[in-house]
Amino acid sequence: MDKTKKMRNRDDAPVIRIHDLAVAYKVRGGEIEAVQNVSFDIYRGETQGIVGESGCGKSTVAWAIVNFLGANGYVKRGSIKFMGQDLVGKKGEDLRRLRGDQIAMVYQDPMQALNPSMRLGDQLKEVLTVHRGLSESKASKHCIEMLERVYMPDAANVMNRYPHQISGGQQQRVVIAMALLNNPALLIMDEPTTALDVTVEAAVLDLIAELRRDFDTAIMYISHNLGVVARVSTRVGVMYAGEMVERATVEEIYKNPQHPYTQGLIRCVPKLGSDKSSSILYPIRGRVPPPDNRPSGCIFAPRCDYVQELCREDRPRLRQIPSGSWVACHFTEEIDPDQWEPPEDLVLPDISVREGNGKAVLEVKGLKKYYQVPGSSLKDVLGLKKPSLVKAVEDATFSVPKGKTLGIVGESGCGKSTLVKTIIGLEDSTAGEATFLGFDITKDLSARDQQLIKELQMVFQNPDSTMNPSFTVGQQIARPMHLFKTVPKKQVRQEVIKLLRAMRLGANYYDRIPRQLSGGEKQRVGIARALASHPEVVLCDEPVSALDVSVQAAILNLLLEVQSEFGTTLLFIAHDLSVVRYFSDYVAVMYLGQIVEIGPAEAIYKPPYHPYTEALLSAVPIPDPSAKQKHIRLEGTVPSSMNPPQGCRFHTRCPRREMLADPEICLTLPPWRDVSGDHRIFCHHSLETLSQFDPVITTT
Amino acid sequence: MLVKDCMTRHPTLISTNTPLTEAQRIMVENKIRHLPVAGSGKRLLGLVTRQRLAFKPEFLASLNVWEITRYLSSMTVKDVMLKANHVHTTEPEQTVERAAKIMTDKKIGCLPVLEDGVIIGILTEIDLLLSYQVMLGLPFSGVRVTIRMPDRLGELAKITKVLGDNQLGVVSIGAYPTPRKDGFYDAVLKIPRVDQERIRQLLSQIEGQEIVELRVDE
Repeated sequence: MDKTKKMRNRDDAPVIRIHDLAVAYKVRGGEIEAVQNVSFDIYRGETQGIVGESGCGKSTVAWAIVNFLGANGYVKRGSIKFMGQDLVGKKGEDLRRLRGDQIAMVYQDPMQALNPSMRLGDQLKEVLTVHRGLSESKASKHCIEMLERVYMPDAANVMNRYPHQISGGQQQRVVIAMALLNNPALLIMDEPTTALDVTVEAAVLDLIAELRRDFDTAIMYISHNLGVVARVSTRVGVMYAGEMVERATVEEIYKNPQHPYTQGLIRCVPKLGSDKSSSILYPIRGRVPPPDNRPSGCIFAPRCDYVQELCREDRPRLRQIPSGSWVACHFTEEIDPDQWEPPEDLVLPDISVREGNGKAVLEVKGLKKYYQVPGSSLKDVLGLKKPSLVKAVEDATFSVPKGKTLGIVGESGCGKSTLVKTIIGLEDSTAGEATFLGFDITKDLSARDQQLIKELQMVFQNPDSTMNPSFTVGQQIARPMHLFKTVPKKQVRQEVIKLLRAMRLGANYYDRIPRQLSGGEKQRVGIARALASHPEVVLCDEPVSALDVSVQAAILNLLLEVQSEFGTTLLFIAHDLSVVRYFSDYVAVMYLGQIVEIGPAEAIYKPPYHPYTEALLSAVPIPDPSAKQKHIRLEGTVPSSMNPPQGCRFHTRCPRREMLADPEICLTLPPWRDVSGDHRIFCHHSLETLSQFDPVITTT
Repeated sequence: MLVKDCMTRHPTLISTNTPLTEAQRIMVENKIRHLPVAGSGKRLLGLVTRQRLAFKPEFLASLNVWEITRYLSSMTVKDVMLKANHVHTTEPEQTVERAAKIMTDKKIGCLPVLEDGVIIGILTEIDLLLSYQVMLGLPFSGVRVTIRMPDRLGELAKITKVLGDNQLGVVSIGAYPTPRKDGFYDAVLKIPRVDQERIRQLLSQIEGQEIVELRVDE
């Protein structure tokens, strides 16, 4: 039926038509135009993806549609037509009715859309009883059907639960079900999967694509993730600094990007399908201009590699080019992305395989970390019952040679962070051995020598919460130098400035305080602080997951450069498998506290795979609509680590379990299978079986 | 095919207090001829069609320019709409042919599709004509053949057997009693990925049947 649908779609009237939209916020001393020159149409059964970095006005457009701009925001120019009716200036009862009956929204955090003090069933039913006036029993029946439609296990039972009793992925499903209950013509989704794990995200994205087909809903899908947008959208609009700079079908955007910004964005996302050497990331230089200080010419001119005089003087309008794409660029016909050369001042890290001296810096053997959970019954309080344990890390064994990087991947709650915290000494270990440069590091931090602490440093995910907001950047970086006395007092300032330069920040950052920095700059300061004591090993806990793609590329390159300069060993935690591949020499895949596969980065991404690695890889959204990916979706949720499955911890969700001759064998611990050299897989399947799996991703 | 498979989902809706001039503009701009009028929760309250907006010229002739403007601007959808109890409707599980029969019997151009009194779509002449094209395989290219067969059991099976034996399939099929000739049926088939001559050769072997018409339809 796809073909027959195409026959008519574009002749019809669009569900929503946005023309030359400009949104302004009134602030002290004038007003700021947050969004300018945005135009697009969405037709029935289409998904318009909107991509761009943070702060470029994606969400503002969505808010303008439903008039959620706040007291100081208003639509300054242009029109928003929903089903032929102008939405700008509509208010009161009319707007309320439209929002309730025909437009629905799904936001990033499901917990903010659900009322924590009401049962899910009551919240869902409310939509139908209030808007449609259905009876209680009829509404309830409808809601259960809809929950089943979004693949909620045990739907009837979920109706009686409270939001906190279901997992994050399930909460998002409830929110999507709620949004669809009224059969809206337009569904606005603002980063609906950003807070979810890759495996859950993949399932939710499948669901969105399916619902669009079944309900003929027009979807506006906002995301910063190019891979996610490639998977769900039919058309894509790229936004930069409040303007739409390119608009085309999803195939055109990825295969044939026209605007220099789109080309730049695609160059700074790691690609999973290709081999490692082709996955060098090229960050876009400079940063997004603040809305009150945008250039008068082309907004992208200060960062563009093809900038010419005309670009600085005249702002290009969105125009259609022969291929059908709409581009806001004066010279798009003359730009050939294949001819692009990285600018000379861009320092690229060397990602070829480095020869280390092979001596292990960090060795971990059978490391365990259990947490005691205090119960609440009387027996627990009196200490008569054995306390229950959360087995956060079970039998971790690996070693990292000097100057190499070990990437650790896995879903949230699989013990990645606990493992790192145990190594750095924020937690003491329960059992097992861990040695660093020959010293035992299984004990708590207080038992460690100053010298040992100096050699192990950490970079955290969120630089905001790890920096003292009232200390200047210089003071923060100097602190470890003072503490560990690595630098004579008089030279500290020089040394800090040297570090800042190495982070490409410059001496003028010395006296700034954290709130004057952007997210990427803060993370650079975080890295500088970790490096200040010249540590042997730096542990990075998701250092780039909160950052925009172009900043992420710059930070990753910086870390690699630091590594090759100082010979630092890195432990790198990430949930994004494509980032890890680019970055690491070795990769460990964790599931529920257990390392299930470990080996050289290249080997992990090729068969033989552990079935869990295979599932993870097939869930990663790839920014290339032509890439073919195996469709494996894990069922159910990660079991509680308080009561992990017996034997192979993955067996309850393993898609390859049926292939075993005797499925009961899963209840015993699987053996470690040595593939080659350092590559080991923790699985009951024999290596022959595992090698027979097809590669997950094939690019054409 | 059921109504839910070929109706237009999410039709443009207006409310009773929409000015008539606005309703007229929405129709013209979006090239639509029917506007269901909806109340709270998308309940059907009425229907506005282009005919409902056509005023008698002799009536307007009795007014001068200023009076016409005032008269038109004071009118809302509520004043001209066909009230819900006079609107013929259908439901998503109805068959297309039944829905089409309502439309031909009553000589009307559209049927709002209701589920529990809530508008979930609209079925117009255009939707029916589109589904007609789909049912006869227009979106697909292939050989379009009309075969005349005697009205008895097992005749269609002969065709499908010949096609099946030769690794061919059909994308659409339609059959009807031969006009002006009793005791015969005509079947229209569309067969993809094959050339005209091969079909002629294969189907002319079938005894008792004749190829009435054969053409390649891209």
